[in-house]
Amino acid sequence: MNSTIELLAPRYDIAWYPWAVQYFFMIAVSYASLWLAAPALVLGKKAWLPTARLALIACVSTTLVAPVALLADLHQPLRFWHFYAYANSHSWMSIGSVVLPLYLVSVLGLAWLAWRPALQAQRSTPGLSGMIATWLSLGSGITPRALVAVVGLAALGLSSGIMLYTGAELAIVKARPLWNTVWLPPMLATTGFIAASGLVLVLNRVSRLCSQTAIRQMLYVLLVTCALAGLIAISWFLDGVNAHVGSVAAALESVRHSASWRNTALWGSITGIALFAAVLFLLTRPTLRLPGACGAPTSHQPTLFAWAWLLGLVAIHMGWMFRWVVLMDVQHVARNSAGFHHYGIPAGSSGILGIVGTFGLWLAAILLIELFIPWRQAQQGGLIATPTHATQDASTRPLTAKKGASSHV
Amino acid sequence: MDAIRRSLLGQMARLSAGAALMPFSSLAQAGINQQPARREGDPTKRYGMLIDLRQCIGCQACTVSCHIENAAPLGQFRTTVSQYEVQHQESGELATFMLPRLCNHCENPPCVPVCPVEATYQQQDGIVVVDSDRCVGCAYCVNACPYDARFINQRTQTADKCTFCAHRLEAGLLPACVESCVGGARVIGDMRDPQSQISRMIHEHRDALMVLQPEKHTLPQVFYLGMDERFTTRPTAEPVALEVLDPHGQEMGYEFHH
Repeated sequence: MNSTIELLAPRYDIAWYPWAVQYFFMIAVSYASLWLAAPALVLGKKAWLPTARLALIACVSTTLVAPVALLADLHQPLRFWHFYAYANSHSWMSIGSVVLPLYLVSVLGLAWLAWRPALQAQRSTPGLSGMIATWLSLGSGITPRALVAVVGLAALGLSSGIMLYTGAELAIVKARPLWNTVWLPPMLATTGFIAASGLVLVLNRVSRLCSQTAIRQMLYVLLVTCALAGLIAISWFLDGVNAHVGSVAAALESVRHSASWRNTALWGSITGIALFAAVLFLLTRPTLRLPGACGAPTSHQPTLFAWAWLLGLVAIHMGWMFRWVVLMDVQHVARNSAGFHHYGIPAGSSGILGIVGTFGLWLAAILLIELFIPWRQAQQGGLIATPTHATQDASTRPLTAKKGASSHV
Repeated sequence: MDAIRRSLLGQMARLSAGAALMPFSSLAQAGINQQPARREGDPTKRYGMLIDLRQCIGCQACTVSCHIENAAPLGQFRTTVSQYEVQHQESGELATFMLPRLCNHCENPPCVPVCPVEATYQQQDGIVVVDSDRCVGCAYCVNACPYDARFINQRTQTADKCTFCAHRLEAGLLPACVESCVGGARVIGDMRDPQSQISRMIHEHRDALMVLQPEKHTLPQVFYLGMDERFTTRPTAEPVALEVLDPHGQEMGYEFHH
């Protein structure tokens, strides 16, 4: 027997829709940006405050949207209560269903504590934002710094649970050799950090906060996480060079037999290396006194920092595409018949509408926070004297700070 | 690359970052993802199926009768018969190889522990079933089954699969596929009863029996007699799109062309 033709094979649909990609992306950005906010909010490091403010809004918005995408991927979303009525401690998904709401509450708790001083200061503002600030700030008592740190630590602990369960959920699936590797969970976490730092860079530009400190910090995080992602990918590959490892063997087989997998592998590698190189280039530019970003008069940072948000977009793309390839493309690899299943992304809720809808919801969450929450003044507890400049970071120039603050009035 | 260098590279990779990840991997294997206790069903029985491929003519009567008995939506199947055209290496002679596929009701079913609500469970008689009233349709089990034996039923929006026609077995009837098999290729029975036909056949052909994807350690309980070992894993064939459409023009399958 030297040739085989499979005469008739049924079409197997994919079981997880793009909603799953959206959930894995949103929750990864959520836990990673929480860690980016931690140095300032948990450890009280003032230099990280601009980053923390941006990271916190990224974290809260994605934490709110992620569970919606997760519920939407259920074929019976209204039965979500079954997760709690019939919990199965043997299932990683069931463990996730317990960790996720606790994580959500801890993140909202942390954000509330961090935003509360600014909310208290905004209570006298006329109109809706004043009313909302009065309602949300719950009294005028001081917010203890220790409480912010403790809630932050709890959130960090729970976020580790999220990292573990989302990774393990996929890695234990022997039926999909490409998932069945111990290297997948750390890669998911690392690409999550890449996407989160990218989002902070973009938010830094879009919000006109334009903190140079935040840019430098995020570029360093990107540098480390890109290197780490490369190291994980290489380790995974070397581990499988023996050809005893199913996931590497399956990957090589896919790359060998499919042009689209070859393109995907090439695109991923090139993007990763290019991002790493660009970040390194930006960080090694000499510091010059030149016109800065966002129309500010002078800057002590390389001019190219003004374009760091573009790298942010690339980083977000990397984080999202990695999840698309892992969750969607892997499901196309046929398990019992020859070749690959084709999946044209449908226009409806199990396809494009789901993807666009999730991003739309996320945008709505960001805009609502922008409208009613003075997130630019987030800090590690305490009190705020005035609603505007009091806690502006030195790196955030007054011109932009005024603009930012005026939008809340 | 020679074997020693390969092995060295592999060891290096394991040493470098693998060491840090060991606790995670051991945690994933201990407790979590273990089989929950079996429930319901007759504990004195263990159902299994033996498919005598020498008797299968690929008529798809099993596919059709299962489809009707279990009212699966169009294009979704609890059992099908894969058909392959194979060519002899030396003589060039062509032959057709038939491979009926269904749920293997594994002794170590990977679909059961992943279910977050225990909607899918293994009965004490070994049959793996789904409680469609409890199923949330997360499709985790569909991804966890290496045999593509599960699908999300388009009508019920819950996981669906072969149940060995448990409802018929309870009533003393044979599963629809067994009942309709013209060649008598499908044999179902209680493997704990030494006098049952399946027990006698397993005893008689023990060394010739094969299961699908044994390397996954799922311990399938659907045994194939007259099987070519090359078909126990995913066969290699050249896929060329030749789509099979349903009456509404929806694609429901495809043929491969060499």
